[in-house]
Amino acid sequence: MTSDKLQLKRASTSALLSLLNLTILPIIGFIALLFLYQKTESNSIDRYYAALGIKTNLWAAVALILVTGSMFLVGGYNSAWTWVYVVSYFVMVHALFILFATWTLTRSWTGQKLKLSLAK
Amino acid sequence: MRDTFTKGMARNIYYGGSVFFLLVLIALTVDTVKRLPATDNRENLTEQVIAGKRIWEVNNCIGCHTLLGEGAYFAPELGNVYTRFGESTDAIKGYIMSRPVDGVPGRRSMPQFNLTEEELEAVAQFLKYVDGVKTARDWPPNIQG
Amino acid sequence: MKYESQGIAKMYFIAALGLFLGQIIFGIIMGMQYVVGDFLFPEIPFNVARMVHTNLLIIWLLFGFMGSAYYLVPEEAERELFSPILAKVMFWVFLGASVLTILGYLLVPYARLAEITMNDLLPTMGREFLEQPTITKIGIVIVALAFVYNIGMTILAGRKTVINVVLLTGIIGLAVFFLFAFYNPHNIVLDKYFWWFVIHLWVEGVWELIMASLLAYVLIKVTGVDREVIEKWLYIIVAMALISGLIGTGHHFFWIGTPDYWQWLGSIFSALEPIPFFMMTLFAFSVVNQRRRDHPNKAAVLWALGTAVMAFLGAGVWGFMHTLAPINYYTHGTQITAAHGHMAFYGAYVMVVLTMISYSMPIMRGKKAANETAQKLEIWAFWLMTLSMVGLTLILTAAGVMQVFLQRFSEDPLPFMVVQDELKNFYWAREITGIGFLSGLFLYLYSFFAKGKEVEFEEEQLD
Repeated sequence: MTSDKLQLKRASTSALLSLLNLTILPIIGFIALLFLYQKTESNSIDRYYAALGIKTNLWAAVALILVTGSMFLVGGYNSAWTWVYVVSYFVMVHALFILFATWTLTRSWTGQKLKLSLAK
Repeated sequence: MRDTFTKGMARNIYYGGSVFFLLVLIALTVDTVKRLPATDNRENLTEQVIAGKRIWEVNNCIGCHTLLGEGAYFAPELGNVYTRFGESTDAIKGYIMSRPVDGVPGRRSMPQFNLTEEELEAVAQFLKYVDGVKTARDWPPNIQG
Repeated sequence: MKYESQGIAKMYFIAALGLFLGQIIFGIIMGMQYVVGDFLFPEIPFNVARMVHTNLLIIWLLFGFMGSAYYLVPEEAERELFSPILAKVMFWVFLGASVLTILGYLLVPYARLAEITMNDLLPTMGREFLEQPTITKIGIVIVALAFVYNIGMTILAGRKTVINVVLLTGIIGLAVFFLFAFYNPHNIVLDKYFWWFVIHLWVEGVWELIMASLLAYVLIKVTGVDREVIEKWLYIIVAMALISGLIGTGHHFFWIGTPDYWQWLGSIFSALEPIPFFMMTLFAFSVVNQRRRDHPNKAAVLWALGTAVMAFLGAGVWGFMHTLAPINYYTHGTQITAAHGHMAFYGAYVMVVLTMISYSMPIMRGKKAANETAQKLEIWAFWLMTLSMVGLTLILTAAGVMQVFLQRFSEDPLPFMVVQDELKNFYWAREITGIGFLSGLFLYLYSFFAKGKEVEFEEEQLD
């Protein structure tokens, strides 16, 4: 495998690990992503996607675990309103992270960087 | 997708997978139907209950109520209404009978269906029969439905 | 338009959109009845409004599916439709039966309608979503069979692509599973069990096949991505839909007196049900990223991406949220179900039909894409309807959680109607999102008539 191809492969693996960490392999996916990051060189496409995956998941941890945890701390476990906020917030925000990671994965397959605009 | 995964393989998963799981569903359905006598309260499925189910249907009760959790969410669950009304079919009949024709100002109200005494008894017996179905974990979770 | 008979789709789409408008108006009425209980009472009681709302949805989606099939199949099969006359006759039969049925709901009490239509001969009425008089159900079967025959003969005589074969299996399944609507045993457990063979195996089974093939067709057209790639995706998506969805029916067999093993089977397999929807999102994102051209119909591309995303959210995420038995024990039959139902139907089926309409309508009207103003309005309408639906779903989710807590979860559970009073503010907010949706729909309908500058593009880019 040429180094170019290897980089593209690593890029899409990073994007996949980021998605897996958000869905069926939490923590494990993140650890694998950290290992993969170490193998990459700066200014390469695989470094870009590994770093993006790590950033996405750190933000997700803040938004999902920290914010939801604070909702329980502030509102208490036994309040209906706490659950109203927690469930609606968690489901929606979690889904948005998954959608973002999915878009990122399909971008990584093209070998280009993330670009959210639909126009070429 | 990877080139090693061909369209032929995808097609085989589609046909093979769907036929296999359709057969599994049929087998499970046969098994379920065989086991139902233990839970479905069929011993109390009298002529009156059958008539009651028809009245339940032709008045579209499911358009507002749930029955064992299925239906509309506008009015209370009726799968356990017999228990909730103190195991009294008379209470159920009394409630249905007493609904005002023009409703209650500003509030939800069940329509007045003008059922005969016989029809009222049948529908109440139907609800009693449904209450006798043995659901898993004795669903609904509590008397409020 | 390559084949003249594709144009038959137009009348189906116009009827579909008309009935869609009716559906939403009745939705607004019901939303009002949730807060002002005696609104339109006793003229239009809630159960009647709901029946009209849900039945119109099913009918217009069927019109949409049929129109889509009539548009797509001749082109895929590379020949004219087997019988354009049959398609036109069936259109009027179906429209006539639908309108009469809806008028029947509105003009006479339901029990009287049952009497007039001789329900006693073969009682099938009065079950959720299957409220149609038996005679209407027979009409639906005739229309569905004629439709399957017409489409099937066209495909048999022409080119067989993965898209039209998957579509055909979908519509055959639709016709076959509807036959369970005629089975109405006295035993309530059996009744409920086989009722799901229509409802679940439609919306979480064969309709997904229809949806996936329509989406694949539009994506080939607007992105120019290689058919081989798209067909592989399509196979694997519909495979996952049936592999998860068939036994996934078990998530409806938790609390209706069926054996306990359904708790496990239903939970496990329905936990897999988001997979096909997730794959649709991945598929749509992926082919749009690999597109070989920029199609002048930007609105259609947006609808195609939108339906993939919203189906994943509504059917996938919001379905998964309450599909595991220990959770469903508390949420079954609450506003949580209503939240999921709204977003899933909109995301998966409403939006895929609108995707087809958006792509094909301009072509049937003699251009590749609608003019710039019309597209701009359509895109605004897309966002207005979609965001209103997201809002509506979030509000109903919140209401559902509150309802579960007060009525099911708390140590001192409150009666249903007391809880409903507590939810009034949620219901008001929901009604506002409903009006937002209706405005989006008006804008959408208006966009068909908007005049403006034609879109510029290079003709040779498109096939």
